[in-house]
Parts: sequence; structure tokens; C-alpha cells
Amino acid sequence: MTVKKRSDLAKTYDFKSWRDFTPMNTSLGTMLHNLTGSWRFIKPVYEDKVPACQNACPAGNDIEGWVRLLQEGKYDKAYWYLKREQPFPAILGRICFKFCEAACNRAVLDDCIGINELERFVGDQVALSTPHPDLPEYNGKGLAVIGSGPAGMSAAYYARLLGFKITIFEALPVMGGVLRVGIPNYRLPRDVVASEFEGLKNMGIELRPETAVGKDITLDELRNEYDYIFLATGVHTSMKLKLEGEDQSHQIMSGLGMLKKVALGEEIDPGKKVAVIGGGNTAIDAARTAIRLGSDVTVIYRRSESEMPAHPEEVEEAREEGVDFRFLAAPEKIELNDDGTIRNLVCCEMELGPPDESGRRRPIKKEGMLFDVKTDSIVTAIGEIPLFDYLNEIVRTENRTVAINECLEVDAKADDKARIFAGGDIIDMPHTVAHAVASGKRAAIAMDCDRKNVDFADTLKKIVIGDGPAISFSKYMGWDPVNPVSYNNHVVVDSKKIVYDYFSKALKLQKKIQGPDVRITSFKPFTSTLTLEDAQQEAARCIHCGRCTECDNCLIFCPDMSVLFKGNGQFGYTFDYDYCKGCGICFTECPRNSITMIEEESPVEED
Amino acid sequence: MQKLIDIPRELMTEEDLVQPGLLSCQGCGASLAMKLALKGLGERTVAVIPACCWTIIIGTYPYSALKVPVIHVLFETAAVSASGVRAAFDVRGEKDVVVMAWAGDGGTFDIGIQALSGAAERNDDILYVCYDNEAYMNTGIQRSGATPMGAWTTTTPAGAIKEESKKDIEKIMLAHGIPYVATASVAYPDDIVYKFKKARSIKGTKFIHILSPCPPGWRTDPGKSIQVTRMATQAKVFPIYEVENGRYTINIYPERQISVKEYIQPQGRFREMSDKMLNVAQERADQKWDDLVRMAEDSSL
Amino acid sequence: MKQVIKGNYAVSQGVKLCRVEVISAYPITPQTTIVEDLSEICARGEIDAKFIKVESEHSAMAAVAGSSSAGVRSFTATSGQGLLLMHEVLHWAAGARLPIVLANVNRAIGPGWNIWADQSDSLSQRDTGWVQIYCESNQEVLDSVIMAYRLAEKILLPVMLTYDAFFLSHTSEIVDIPEIEQVDTFLPPYNPEFKLDVDNPRMFGGMTGPDYYYEERYIIHKDALETLELYPKVCEEFKEKFSREYDICEEYQTDDAELIVVTAGTITSVTRIALDKLHEQGKKVGLMKIRMFRPLPVERWCKVLGNAAKVVVIDRNLTAGLGGVFANEIQAALYPLQNRPVIFPVIAGLGGRDVTPEDVENIINYALKNDQPTDIPLFWGLKE
Repeated sequence: MTVKKRSDLAKTYDFKSWRDFTPMNTSLGTMLHNLTGSWRFIKPVYEDKVPACQNACPAGNDIEGWVRLLQEGKYDKAYWYLKREQPFPAILGRICFKFCEAACNRAVLDDCIGINELERFVGDQVALSTPHPDLPEYNGKGLAVIGSGPAGMSAAYYARLLGFKITIFEALPVMGGVLRVGIPNYRLPRDVVASEFEGLKNMGIELRPETAVGKDITLDELRNEYDYIFLATGVHTSMKLKLEGEDQSHQIMSGLGMLKKVALGEEIDPGKKVAVIGGGNTAIDAARTAIRLGSDVTVIYRRSESEMPAHPEEVEEAREEGVDFRFLAAPEKIELNDDGTIRNLVCCEMELGPPDESGRRRPIKKEGMLFDVKTDSIVTAIGEIPLFDYLNEIVRTENRTVAINECLEVDAKADDKARIFAGGDIIDMPHTVAHAVASGKRAAIAMDCDRKNVDFADTLKKIVIGDGPAISFSKYMGWDPVNPVSYNNHVVVDSKKIVYDYFSKALKLQKKIQGPDVRITSFKPFTSTLTLEDAQQEAARCIHCGRCTECDNCLIFCPDMSVLFKGNGQFGYTFDYDYCKGCGICFTECPRNSITMIEEESPVEED
Repeated sequence: MQKLIDIPRELMTEEDLVQPGLLSCQGCGASLAMKLALKGLGERTVAVIPACCWTIIIGTYPYSALKVPVIHVLFETAAVSASGVRAAFDVRGEKDVVVMAWAGDGGTFDIGIQALSGAAERNDDILYVCYDNEAYMNTGIQRSGATPMGAWTTTTPAGAIKEESKKDIEKIMLAHGIPYVATASVAYPDDIVYKFKKARSIKGTKFIHILSPCPPGWRTDPGKSIQVTRMATQAKVFPIYEVENGRYTINIYPERQISVKEYIQPQGRFREMSDKMLNVAQERADQKWDDLVRMAEDSSL
Repeated sequence: MKQVIKGNYAVSQGVKLCRVEVISAYPITPQTTIVEDLSEICARGEIDAKFIKVESEHSAMAAVAGSSSAGVRSFTATSGQGLLLMHEVLHWAAGARLPIVLANVNRAIGPGWNIWADQSDSLSQRDTGWVQIYCESNQEVLDSVIMAYRLAEKILLPVMLTYDAFFLSHTSEIVDIPEIEQVDTFLPPYNPEFKLDVDNPRMFGGMTGPDYYYEERYIIHKDALETLELYPKVCEEFKEKFSREYDICEEYQTDDAELIVVTAGTITSVTRIALDKLHEQGKKVGLMKIRMFRPLPVERWCKVLGNAAKVVVIDRNLTAGLGGVFANEIQAALYPLQNRPVIFPVIAGLGGRDVTPEDVENIINYALKNDQPTDIPLFWGLKE
């Protein structure tokens, strides 16, 4: 729609004789003929950008978009919009590492937005078993997903939206991978996971639990039967302490093993005292599980608290629940009784030396500084590693990961059998659910590009979000964002340009969490989803970084009346470049940096 | 929550009484001030403009960027010319027309102060607006009685920057006992619209003093005009308040407070300001704010 | 109705009869009683006008410039220093084509302070573009106010009428004050096409660059010259209504006069007495009384003065380094003539010094006696 040009109304007068003049010095018309736009050397354009939260999210979750829909009361729409980039809000809304909250610009003013809680709220608005309302026809290609963890689930979800026919193979009798057997119920209830799989099944995805690839069916067979394979078998084997006696006691178990037993409903008795070795989420999960089983728990970690990989919130909750922590200590020697019970666990004090390859300071033994830990059981949670036997050397691995290229395609012999892709914890990537989900999305798009013979690298350039590596499924599919203003997914909002003076302080809602005494009495979840009022209140705090909200600041502050509100049901504003002098006031006063100043020569896309 | 600027969109999207094509510089506060003032006043307004930046901004013969009647008058006569126009409109029976003198700081604080004082003493029913860019900007940035201490101007150049303080024009106007004296700033546009709407209904002499940034004169980035002006209020250098028949109301409690030092940071005109001057300025700003808060408290009793 | 009134009172009566709508004035001796009279007239409701009691003459002029721009009949009065203070605004009013009428009591310019009759004040404003009318009597003053509005509103130029301090301002004379209904038939309400109007918004007096300023000024000059055609018509109309005759200038016994005296203001009355005496002596002397001084009535003056052999100009004003202004302007006006009379410039009566009929008689005799002026100008009555 073209806004009527005011410059068309301009009229000039050219007096050739004194007789043409007005009888006295008085005006005849406006200054509209003076096209002050010619003064510019830079000009403003409306350009929605990638907000800090989306930029930080490994999956590229378009958080601002669904928060906006939430604020508008369009809960269903928010749910399906969220799922464009991250298919499992009910899951991630309970257990995500919350990279988004750590990057949220609102924190500069008061607190970050409770994005995680809001995601959970949105995730709980629609029955998880609801299949996607717009399922496409099958494209004739088959995909075998090996492993039903978050990476596999994500790949299956996106691949179905791209028309693939999918089967998910899972060795265990239950679907969900780490979500089902690695994360305790109190963090992620089983029925949530089960409902998600209902949803996937209702989308036409075939589920094959109790089918181990490498045992019940071989990789080679799958390669013949399917066009594409996605390896997502995860890391379910614990690293060993490498101490003598480690394998000789039933009281020494892996954290993963403990969690799986509890998840599958099997009996377990870790004894009165439990020593958990490790500092990651598995260690904490195991510790809090043991507490709930009635034990006294000490977590022994070789670095200090600030280096712990586990989420600080988890650590805090664990502490509240009575878990003890012993930092800068590592197991030195296991002393067993004849019957296999543990007599003593000798630990050595550690100190922090120079950083290692992870960037964290390397722990160094303080020789001779030993101490005893009396414990009934030892739970090892010092790292998880994958099992690659089923690969049968078809796929190259290195450093306990499956070697992949940027398409996530594995390094395998080129032949006419199925193309193999990999994702989740088995590739070289941070081990978080968000990353796993992101890899599933990436692989699905890569497979689709391969199917269509389209160059993935080229596609990647177009659909990468902000600093990357997250990519946008919406952009790939050509779906419009919530806000139909010119959107540039390559530009991240300039956080320094957020104008906090336009926002009133309002603290984040305190998470409603049950007290530790109640929590440890069961494995039931101890937090509840936000109420509608609370969700609205929290969502209202969102700054909408980089995305126009029609706040009218530009319209109000332009000294040259060169910002025009489109109206007529159209979103946003337009600049009248006939008169805009390029002063930059609109750019500076936009509270959320959704205007960009570009050099005058650049062509502007007509929107 | 975002504090939306409280101006109804219908008002902002109404056809502007200030048409584009203005001859003002990029980032000019005076242009914005007029736009907002007329949003508050509406079309039944006559503007009386003495020599000042707006003499140029409005355009040259035979063009005018304003859709209200305008009369250009001599530099020092803004207030009294407005008084004359007011008398005429009263005689014509058009008592609802607001006669607005729109003068710069030169035409208000200095050369025009006699006429202003006369009109105020007579309590003539005019709206006198001083858009203050703190120097004789139109003639090339020479110092005025409104130039703050520490500022560079072409007549207070490096080595001889202005030592004298800015005249307290509000106190001067209040000394005349007029019914309405207010400060305003282009950084708080809803407050401007509110004050101009209000001015329509008050009889007698109304004085509104608008802080109006000038990028070439203040040596600031044109894009930062509003930001810098907001900082003036945050630094308590230019508080936003109104005095209606002697009752003080502080209209803006700044979202955060900053030091005077922070305020002068982005402005090249203060580059030579000594620490001694800065301390004096800070003390004065603090004192002024405290006095104002006390006056407002006393008024609310 | 005939009354015995002072000159200042005649002005205020004229203002009342013209139904002036906005008045603004600042007191200065000897104009003060105009301001006082008008204040009382307004207070008594005899006139429906707004009186803006400004704080200076400059502001007074600015105030009426403002009100006149809004299409309302406006008036101000001043004298001497006050007129000088208005100088900038006088230029503005003429340039803005505002039909303001100003009554100026001719008073001397300081320093030293002198409040008495002297025409230097109005003459120093001759470049402002205002029409200037010089009055000899209180009747003329009152009539000139009425004619001034008629002329001003036709030509859209401001008109200044002047009269001598104390000799007229504070001296009582018989004045026939017309009825207001009669004046209404002569002077219609002021309703200009171009004025400040929210229903028809315009900008007045804006920036005008070199490409247009020239023609604007030309138009003002052209219109000013048209005054010379228009004013006699206004005077004709006035005569019909009020039976009193006025013109651009008055000729008294100028037919076949060999010597014509030129005066303005109350010296004219004194000169008439001297002339009558000289006529008895058989001397062929005449008088041209200047009424309209601006625009410069070149053609009329040439016509009146061209046939005389000698012209004596009595200037009750002095411009240092120049001499008398009237003499200077008459010389300029007569320059195009093939045969120019000999001009005898005389300065007399500065700062209110009395000029008697005897003085005038002696001045004329001096001119009759000499072929050429002995001094240019001759300072009559100077304490040597």
C-alpha cells in the first residue's frame, strides 16, 4: 500500500513580475516543495532484528514472537508459533538450561524475563497429543531415526513437516531417551513425555520401542530399507572412575544407571549414606534422587562450585533439600569389605591450577592431603559416553563422537544406500536438550535440501539466526514472522541501544516452588505452571528487543513529521523519505532498536 | 512494562499543523517543540514569532510550514505584539483563539524581557512560550542570558567560557504573579501536550519554558537530541514542573538520576567546563531540586 | 457641536468618533493627556475599545501593530523621545501595510531634555514609510484623525499626524466636533482582506530573499505614491460631509506672489498674521502650508512654488550637519524645474522658542531684501 505522498501536494510559486506578488508580505502555500530528504547521508529503515534471547537459544526459539502472541491472548497461536523453532515447549519449559534468560536484556533494568516459565505456560495450553494442524503430503522419502531422545524426537517432528515418512527406533521399552530415563520425574513428569509421543504418533510417525539397532535390527538393514537415517543414540554409558574395586561392588553404581532404574520403576536401595562423584546435572539429579530415597547425600566434586557444569538453580535446590557438597575433592581409593560393601572411600584434596582445554582451571591433587568418606554407596557421575558398537564401522567416529560435517551428515562411504545424519549428544556439541533439539531441526533441513538437491551451505546462509549456529525453520519454509515488518534474521539487536528509560522497573515473578521438606517426600513435580494472570503479567515485562511493537515513539519524536503511521489495518509505520533528514532521533529513541540507520545509497525494500 | 508515551494515537495521526519541509537542522528540538505544542493547542491558535530560529524554520516568502495564522514580529516585541493580537481577537469576539508568542531564549531572557515583563504585569491573556536552546542560535551560537555556566559559545569561546549562571526565568515570571508558569522538555512529549491543552483553559498570562536541544550549538549528535534533553531532567539541571496560581507540582520524577558530569558528557559545548564549575553546578542542581520538592510538598498540604 | 478644547482632547475625540478598537500608548509629556483622556473614555464605556497600557513606546507601537495585523482599527500617540523609541516598529508597521494612525505631539529631541515644540522628532522618521500630516489647529487635528483612518485603510499604509507641543496640545481652541453618526457615513468599519484569521491561516512578514524583497519594496513605494492621488479625493469627501476643506497643502495668497513662505505647524498661523501686515504694505508674498509631507508631494510643490522667485522655508527643526529638513526636501522637490526659485532656508523656534509675527515679518523682509540667502540656513533668533 502506498501512503499518499504529501510532496504531491506541494505547490510552488514563481513571481515573474511585481504584479504577481501578494499586496503585502503574506504566504500563499506550504513548504512541502522543500524536499529536505535531499539533505540526508544516512537514513532510517524499519528492520526487525534477532532479539538477545533468540540469539542465545541453541534452537533459535522465536521467543519474542510467541510472547507477543501470549500478550495478545492468542494462546493456541502462541503454542503453534513456538513449535516452529522448538517443538517441545512443555518439555523444555520444565528442564531447559535457559540460555535465553541469561542473555535477556531486561536484566539490565531489573530481572530477566521468566521465559522458561512462560514457555511452560504456553506448552501447557494445548494438549500435547494434538498433531500439527497443517501436515503436508508425504514426499516419498523414508527416514529412520535411531534413538528416541530429544534429538531424535526433533528430527522426526521437523522431517514430518517436510513430508518424510518416519520410524523412530528405541532400544528401551519406553520412548524418550534421556528425557524419560535420565531426568527425574520431579523435573520432567513421565506423562508429559508420553503425551509428546502421542502427538508424534498422531502426526503419522511410527514408534518402535524395544527395538535395539545393532541387536534387533542392523544399521545395514536400515540403510537398505530407508532413504535417510538419523543417528541420535545419545550418551548412556557412564565414565569410569578408573579406581580399583570400582566394578566389584553392587554398591558402586553409575548416576545414569540409578536414574534409569528409578525411571523404569525398578527397586533401588542406595543405603543410608551416598557419595555422588561429579558436578554435572547427572550428579545433581542422582543426588536429589538419593535424597528422595531417604539417604544422606554428599556430592564430591573435584573443582569449586563456580566451575560446576550443573545449573546453579539445581545446585541451590539440592542444597535446600539437604544435599551436602564437598568441593575440591576427588576419589583416590576405594576400600571394600569382603562382602562387596564399601568400607571407606579415600578422597584427596584438590586445588585449581591453570586452565585446561575446556577453559576451566585444571584440578591438581594436593599430594598427601587425603581424607576418608564413610559411605554406603558411591554414585559415579563424572561424564557420559556413547556406545558406538551398532555403527559397525560404517560411520567414522573420533573422540567419542560421530564425525559430521556442517550438514550433520556423517563421514561414511559414499554409496547408493541411505544417507546418514547424526545429532544430539553423540556429536561434538554441548550436551543440553536445547542443543539436541536444534540438531534434529538442522538435520531435517539438511536432509530436505539433499532430497531437493539444494546446496545446504547456501541455504544455511539464508536461514541462520543472528550469530548462529541456530537456524530458522520458519525462514526455510517461508513462513511470516508474527510481526510483518521487514525482518532481518542476520542482524542481532544492539543491546546497548535498548532505552531502559522507557520501562518501569518490575521484578520477575517469584517461581512458585514447594518447600524442600515437601519436595523430598516424593518424586512428584514441585513447581506449577503459571496462572493466566501471572503469565500475562510476566509477559508484559518483555522489552521485545529488536522488534517493533507500534509504541509510537518514532511517530512522536520525529521533528520533521516524516514518520507516518500506516493504519488501515496495516502494521507499523513508514518513513517519508521526501522529508526525512536522517537525523537519527527515531533510531535513538526506539526503545528496542527496531530501526536501523543505513547509508543513503542502499536500496530499501518496499514492504 | 513499557511506559508508553501518553499521547493518543488519534492525535498523533491527525494532520499535522506543522507541515514537513522545515528549514531546521537535523535533530532540531525547536521543530519538535512546535509540533507537540500545536498538537496540544489545535488549530484555533495564532502564533506570534519574533526573530529566532523559527523565523527561518517556518520557510520563506511566499511559503509557510504552519497551518495556523502566523505573524512575524520584531525581536524584542513578542509578548506585547501578542497582547495586541489578543486585544484584537477579543474585540472580534473570538475569545477561544489562543494567541501564542513563540520566542527563543534571546527574545525572552534578554532583548524581549521588557515586553514580557510588561505583558505579565498586565496579566494579558496570552500564552508565552520560550523554546530555549540556551544561546542565540539563529545568529550563530552567541551567548544569551539563558546560556548555562560552563558553556562554549562563539562569544564565550575557549579560554573565556561562560562563567555566569543561567537566568532563573521561572522565578522572574513567578515574581509577576501570573496564573501559570511551567517548564517542559521535548524529551517528555506527553507532558508538553498536556501543558498546552491545559493552557487553553487558563485566563491570564501563561508562561511555558521548553528545553529545546540544538545539535550544532550544543555540539551533540543530532540523533541524540532527545536523549541529551532527557538527561538534563535526570541530572536535575532542568526539572519539569508547573506552578498554577502559586501551587507547585512536579510533573516528572525522572526514571533515574544522574550527575551533572554525566549530563555534560555527550555535549561538546561543555568540554572546557572546569571541575570547580561542575561542582558548583552539581550543588545548584541538587539545591534547586530539593527546593522544588519542598515547594511541591508545601503545595500539596 | 462647537466646543473649546485643547489639541490633545481633540485627538481623543477623533479617536472616539472613529470607533477605534484597540489603543495602546505610553505617556510622555506633552502627550500624556491623550492617554489620560482615552483611559477615561474607555473606562466610561464611551468607546468599545481595548486599551493596552504598555510599558514603553516601542511596545505601544508593537501592540498596535499586532492588533492591526488581526484586522482591527488601532491607534497610538506619542511625542519626541517616544517616537524615536518607536523607530524600528514604525518601519515594521509601514512595511507590513498596517493602517495604524499615530498622533505625534511634536517635541524636541534631547539631550538636554526639552518638552516644547520642535518638529525634529517626526521629521527624523520621514524614511519609515509612514504618511505624515502636519496640523496647524485643533480643528485640523481632530479632522485629520478622521481623514487619516479613511486614507490609511484605503491605501494600507500607516498615517502619522503631528502638531506642536503645548501650542496646540495644551492650548484651547474652538473645535467643531462632528456627530459620530456623521463620521460613520464617512468612515466605514475596517474589514481587511488580509488579516490573522484561524479560518484562513496565513503567515505575515516572513523571510524574504533577494529574489523577492525588491519587488515587495517597490510595491510599497508605488502604493505610497498613489496616496498623492488618493488624499485629495479623501479631502473632497470630507468637505462634502463636514464642510471643511483640506488638501495636500494649503495655499494662502500665492497667486502672483513673488515670494512664498513655506511653513508647517503653528508657525503657519503666525505667518498668516505677518503676511496680512505685509500685504497692507503692498508686498507680494504668499504662504504654502505643508500638510502632507510624506509621501513627498513633488508635483504639487513644484506647481505651487515653481512660479515664485523666492521661497522662504521656515524649519522648526534642525538636523546637525544638514540644516532644516523642509528646506532640504523642498530643494530636492524643486530640482526638476527649469526655473527654480531661490530658496532661503531659515531655522526658527527650536525647542519651543517662540516665533512671533514680528519674527516672521522680519524673516520675509530679509528674504525680500537679499537676492541670495546670506546664510544657509539662517539661524533666526540665535543668541550670537
